[in-house]
Parts: sequence; C-alpha cells; structure tokens
Amino acid sequence: MGRVKHPGPGFLPFGLALCLIILSLALIFKNLKGDNSSTPFWPQRTWLRPLLGVAILIFFAFVVEWVGFLITTFIFLMIWMGVIERVRWRTIISVSIGTTAALYLIFALLLDVPLPMGFLKW
Amino acid sequence: MFQGLANGFGIAFSLTNLTFALIGAVLGTIVGILPGLGPAATISLLLPLSFKIASPVTSIIMMAGIFYGAMYGGSTTSILVNIPGEAASVVTCIDGYQMALKGRAGPALGIAAIGSFIAGTIGVIGLTFVAPPLAEFALKFGPPEYFALTLLGLLMATLLGGTSVVKSLIMVVLGLLLGSVGLDPISGAIRFTWGFFMLQEGVDFVTLAMGMFGIGEILINLEKELTTELVTRKITHLWPTLKDWAESKWAILRGSFIGFFIGILPGGGAVISSLVSYAVEKKVSKHPEEFGKGAIQGVAGPESANNSAASTSFIPLLTLGIPGNASIAMIFAALLIQGVQPGPFLITEHPDVFWGVVASMYIGNVMLLILNLPMVGMWVQLLRVPYAILAPIIVLFCCIGVYSIRNTVFDIWVMGIFGVIGYFFRKVDMEPGHLILAFVLGPILERSLRQALLISAGSPFIFFSRPISGAMMGFLILFILIQIVRAVRGERLKAE
Repeated sequence: MGRVKHPGPGFLPFGLALCLIILSLALIFKNLKGDNSSTPFWPQRTWLRPLLGVAILIFFAFVVEWVGFLITTFIFLMIWMGVIERVRWRTIISVSIGTTAALYLIFALLLDVPLPMGFLKW
Repeated sequence: MFQGLANGFGIAFSLTNLTFALIGAVLGTIVGILPGLGPAATISLLLPLSFKIASPVTSIIMMAGIFYGAMYGGSTTSILVNIPGEAASVVTCIDGYQMALKGRAGPALGIAAIGSFIAGTIGVIGLTFVAPPLAEFALKFGPPEYFALTLLGLLMATLLGGTSVVKSLIMVVLGLLLGSVGLDPISGAIRFTWGFFMLQEGVDFVTLAMGMFGIGEILINLEKELTTELVTRKITHLWPTLKDWAESKWAILRGSFIGFFIGILPGGGAVISSLVSYAVEKKVSKHPEEFGKGAIQGVAGPESANNSAASTSFIPLLTLGIPGNASIAMIFAALLIQGVQPGPFLITEHPDVFWGVVASMYIGNVMLLILNLPMVGMWVQLLRVPYAILAPIIVLFCCIGVYSIRNTVFDIWVMGIFGVIGYFFRKVDMEPGHLILAFVLGPILERSLRQALLISAGSPFIFFSRPISGAMMGFLILFILIQIVRAVRGERLKAE
C-alpha cells in the first residue's frame, strides 16, 4: 500500500474504500433519520418484466455458441416480443426475420465479425 | 488556425466523412426523439463498431454527430408528447407542450430547430477559437495541475447534476474503484482481478458502458409502459412568424452563451445548461406569468443552451483530455480505441482529427437543421414504433456488439451483469453517468496524484504551492464550502 510519502498500488483503493464506508454510513444515517413513508421497491409485480428480460439474455449467452447466431437471435426476438410484450403475431414474425437478417448483414457481411454459426456451419 | 480549419473542411468534405456525419446526425435525431434511449447509451452501442472503422476522424465525426444531433431531436418529443426525448430537453416539456396544446406545435418545433442551429454554430465557433490557445496553455500542466483539474471536474459533475450528493459521491467512488482493477499504472502490480486473467487489463470500458447504459436503460424501461400519444399529427407553420422571432431572438442568444460557458466547465454539460437557461429566461421576462403556459422563450432558450453546451463540451475533452459528462466520456473511450490520446497534444499531434471533427460539426449543424425543420414530420412517425419492438433489437445489438470485440461470450456475461447492476442503480436513483465518468477519469486521477507526490517527495503542499493548481484547489475548496453552507441552510429551513 505504501505511505502518503511513497504511495503504492494499494494507496488509492484504500483511500477510496474509506470514503465508501463513510459515504455509506452517511446514507444509512440519513435514511434512518428521514421519514419512512416507503413505497414498495417493486409495486404491483413490476419486477416481472425486467426479470424476464434478464432471463432471455442469460438464455442467449448460454445457447448462442452451439445453436448459432441465426437461430438464437430469431428465438430471442420471438420470445421477447411474444412473452414480455404482447405484440401481434404477424409483427413478431416479420420483425424477427427482418432484424435477424439485418444484424447478420451488418455484423457478418459488412463488418466481418466471425459470428458463431453453431451447427449451421458447413 | 484558419489554415487548420480549411484543412479540416477538406477532410470533413470527403465522401466517407460526409456520409458518417450524416449517419451520426440521423441517428442522433432518432435517439433524441425516442424516449428511453439517450445519446450516451447510443454512443455506447456503437463503440464496438468503432473498432471496425479504420479512421479515427470518421468514427469521432459520427459519434459527435449522435451527441449534438440528439439535442435537436430531444425537443420534438418534449413538445409533441410531453416526455423528454432525452435528458437535456426536460425543461422544454413545460412550455413546448403547452404551445402544442394551443395548436402552436409548428412554431415551437421551428424555433427549437432554428435556435439549436444558431446556438450549435456559435458553440462550434467557440470550439474553433478557444480550443487551440487552451491546449497550448494546458501544455504547462504537470501532474499536480491534472490532479486538481480532474478532481474539480469530478466533484462539479456530481454536485451539480443528480438528486442526492451522497448517492452521487458513492457512484464516483465506485467508478474510481472499478477503474483501479487491473495492472497498477506505476508499479505494474495486479489489483482486484480475483484470479480472472480476463480482468488483468482492467474492466473493459465498452462492456461496462454497454451494460450500464444499453442494457440497464432497457431493463428499467421494461417496468413502465412507455406510451407515446401525440398532441397532433399535423404540423403546420414551422417557420416562426416575425412576432415569434422577435420574442425569442434574445432568448436564443442568451441560451447560446449560457450553454457556451457551462459546456466548457468541467462537469458542466447540456442538461445543466438547459435548466439554467430556463431559469434565466423566466427571470428576465417581462411576463414571467406566461412561463408554464406556452411561452416561446421557454422553448427557445433551453433548446439553444443545450446545443451550444453540447458543442463546447468538446473543448475540455480535446484540449485537456478530461471529459465532462457521460456522453463525452464515451467519445473519450472511442478516441483511445482509435489510438488517439485526448489531451493538450491532440491538436498538434493529430491536427486532422481535431480540425476534421470541428469542421464536420459546422456541416453537421446544417444537416440537422434540414433534418429537423422541413423533415420533422417524417421523424415524428418514429414515435409510432413501439418500444416493445425496439427494446429486444437494442439488447441484441448490445450482445452481438460486445461479442464482436473479442469474440467471446464471456463479455456478454459481464455486460449482462453490469446491466443488472445498472438497473438497480437507476432503481435507487443513483446516476450511472457519474460512475462512467469516474471510471474514465480514475486512472488520470491516480496517475497524476502519485506522480505529483513522487515529485514533491510526499508533500501534499505541491497542489497548493503551484499557481495554477493552487488556484484550482482554492476554487474547489470554495465550491465545496458553498455546497456545505447551502446544505446546512437547507436542513435548517426544512427543520423550521
């Protein structure tokens, strides 16, 4: 860590950690002192949609390497618009196909990014 | 200087750069109009692409275009829907929406676009003339000056913007800590990598920014139903009448100058300048009672101020290497990706980058005036695209974008985690922009602090004994004292 005279690599992180402790205490103290007319953190099941969003994201990260970019992207869009949002079926399908194609065009063809193709690789 | 600007126009008028300036302007207008997607998030989405664009000028021209373009687009949604298209247009809602309700949506949109153009151009002229001498002056800066300046910028950004000072400061400290992950810049020791080899080079800025801004913003928006109902579909009389013009010309000029100065300040930026401008307009008006009921000055002033500030906030970035707000921090990162070190040497070492970008901003403002005045009706249609369709596309863009940098799914995971963290930060009213800014400034702050202490053999008086850094530290202490006094007084007022 070093001293003030010869600061080492741990000098700043240590100081910052001290600041963080003080600030956190200040925040806790302030909230304890203030009135506790608390609203629920997630009123009326508002946690559901963000949670689903994260779930789909995790699904994407898990699956994309072996199922491949094209299929995963398509499924991702279908689930998002079909489950989280309630978009009309015709829109879901056309947007999913259109977006998958556009993303493939931009990244794979235009920018030469080696996208994982999964078992579609030949 | 004029030689430089002429060369800059030569660069900016090349077909590639004109195209990318137009792409930037169009994208900026679009994200400005769309609520729930700000310029900082958009620039972060495009950071992976900047690895693929070969020339630094071209990539910065596009990103700058997004930033100042969003200032144009933001007003449209404020006026027509009463939701700010992006943060710097919050105050425009107040009078802009009232004007639209009274059937004066056209003049409101018109004056916003014209004011933006005038102010944006004044801002760029300021950038042209202020930046080169400032950069020359900044050559005298040593580590103590840099430390003082960075600290000043960080503290002003946190104390001026944001709701709670304690929360903002916590974000800054967290950002600085995140910035210290990886190799120590001076001794080379490894810090906080928890054994992950991937973390040795530090937390990757692009992944962090895309998570906090791209994913985080989408997740928080999933909670609320974003419905956009337009006041009117038909927009007529875009060109303001002589009366409108007479009423708003001084507001535009005042807004331009307010934005000009607030943009240069470390920690200043478009959001604060628009708030200040609105307050000033209300104060100088002979009919302050009209504010809130559709006063055209309430649209003209703030919309001018945010554009002017957007242009001049490039000054601290390009001359000192110190970004003042989150969007500029993204552009800072883009410059580093391209191998251009922002700082006092930028203008002399990369004159093509500096002058090319500056020249493109003159052109970009003209493009935006055309995009936002005669063509505004077309963009308004965008508000009909539901967020339900937009959100998954943005998330996918983030995933593939972040994957494309190092071709590893690991980065998608990291981005997702930062996204969830960013979501919770927003949930408890902590501003991720402060964290991003601190993350970028952290290494500068640490290096300058430790170098300064090495020079002075450990005496902290070095920050006060040198004239420039002494003045900055003096200003910093004064600023903090004022804040403390105000806080104590505020407490007393509440208690009584």
